[in-house]
Amino acid sequence: MMLATFPTLWLTLRQFAAGRATRVVAFFAATPIIFSLVYLFNSGGSTANEFLGSIFNEFLAPTIVPLATLILATATLGNELSDRTIVYIALKPIARWRIVIEKFIGTFIVTGVAFIVGISITWALVAFGPEMPGGSTLPAMIVSSLFGVAAYGAVFLFFSLVIPRALLVGVIYILLWESLLARYIPGIRILSIRHFMQSIFVHWVNDSRVTIPQPTQLVSAIIVLVAVVIVSLILASLRLRRMNLD
Amino acid sequence: MATPTATPNGELHAGIEKATVEIEHLSKWYGDVVAVADVSFGIGPGVTGLLGPNGAGKSSILKVLAGLLKPSAGEVRIMGRPVRSDIHLFRLIGMVPEQEMVYPYLTGREFVRLNASLQGVTDIDGATQRALVTADLGDAAERRIGGYSKGMRQRIKIAAALVHDPEILVLDEPLTGTDPVQRVQLIQLIQKLGAHGKTVFVSSHVLHEVERLADRIIVIVNGKLAAVGDFHAIRDKIDEHARTIRVKSTNDRDLASMLITTPHVTSVRIDPDPQSIVIEAEDVRAVYRLLPRIAREHDIRLFEVTSLDDSLASVFAYITQR
Repeated sequence: MMLATFPTLWLTLRQFAAGRATRVVAFFAATPIIFSLVYLFNSGGSTANEFLGSIFNEFLAPTIVPLATLILATATLGNELSDRTIVYIALKPIARWRIVIEKFIGTFIVTGVAFIVGISITWALVAFGPEMPGGSTLPAMIVSSLFGVAAYGAVFLFFSLVIPRALLVGVIYILLWESLLARYIPGIRILSIRHFMQSIFVHWVNDSRVTIPQPTQLVSAIIVLVAVVIVSLILASLRLRRMNLD
Repeated sequence: MATPTATPNGELHAGIEKATVEIEHLSKWYGDVVAVADVSFGIGPGVTGLLGPNGAGKSSILKVLAGLLKPSAGEVRIMGRPVRSDIHLFRLIGMVPEQEMVYPYLTGREFVRLNASLQGVTDIDGATQRALVTADLGDAAERRIGGYSKGMRQRIKIAAALVHDPEILVLDEPLTGTDPVQRVQLIQLIQKLGAHGKTVFVSSHVLHEVERLADRIIVIVNGKLAAVGDFHAIRDKIDEHARTIRVKSTNDRDLASMLITTPHVTSVRIDPDPQSIVIEAEDVRAVYRLLPRIAREHDIRLFEVTSLDDSLASVFAYITQR
């Protein structure tokens, strides 16, 4: 059924199901579980919400979500360009934007599901601790992560069409920009996807102990991330339409 | 034989009633490297061979024709329409690319079904089964492509290219990796498609492959059009200008001494490996006529007479020297 209706999406999911990249993403998404196990033995005096807030703001948003998304987003079209199997989907009477959208959705589904599972298990383990986390923390972590996966996914998919070593460039971007410069230099904070992910998270959690410096309004943060997704996908579609598929 | 000096819409379309593919003043370069230089020709229904040594620019021409590459200059039209202008033109084209890589995690049937779906085929299952049977892969259809032999991968690509019954089939070195039996089957399939009115454009660097596949050939050398025309006409021209013949006989030494005195022969040498004589002649056809007579008169048996010019390199050398 999916093959007949969304063949490129079907191919993308099969590609990820067979590849090692998906296992790496699953590992990344599962790393917060390790921290939650440590928390069960020693909470260090922090509340459940504070702990989960730290996991999200210091670990998931600046490093883990972008790195995991980078792996699949650059592989989804990048691998097909490098091994030239792109011929099998590009020489077909389907619009280039449709190829890009279905590839993006495939990346979003696989990475998103990995984080939904990883975050849910993390939250559940923390709930076994000294106190229950707030009811809004789980959806806040999941929804913010999904916004991040979407934004990073679209940007890195575009990267893979314009930069030959997109994975390497993406890692440098994440470690240098998202995790370092945009995190500590106030002026350029708003030029990072991470900042808007965190803004959605802290507004949703609505706990004074879980916050970031100068969060953007919830609606504004959502609009910015949606705009990043749309612009990146448009650019990726235009690029795929014009590029030589040698 | 038509020559590349003719005008694009004139002689280069000679022998074609209706050109389904027209290439006009096509050039393709990669940085400083010119892969294709001002090439013009047209092809129509039937099988046309694109012949050239490795690196001559064949794959670049096929990729531009299929819409994968943008021409640096010139234009390619399919059924009168520029190839990259309209994605619906891809419905008319089936391409078998040169590269071996096919999604290794899919089964043969899944791969052909995927292509049918991407082409918008209505009866996906029926078309898939027909294409698999045509490519003689019915038995291996449920196996993963990663476990296929080189020849099987070649055939699954052909099945995928045929699944939507395209009008134009572009085959880049389709016989690579196939065993002799598969080769015969594929040649018959390609000839059948051509006979049914499909425009089949096949590239190869192997002369005898093209000889068996196509009546009309386009020869590319160093990115330039070297010749366009009927394969046999080109071969006849080459035969006329052949220079070297190898002869195996029961008495090479006597045969050599008699041949050297004839007016058409310029030199004769005895080759120990394989045991034979190698004759260089100004008019090789005259030598062909002379040989049996000399052999009969001197009771010498001829085992083998071979033209040493019958190689692709000699074809190109002859064509480019003209």
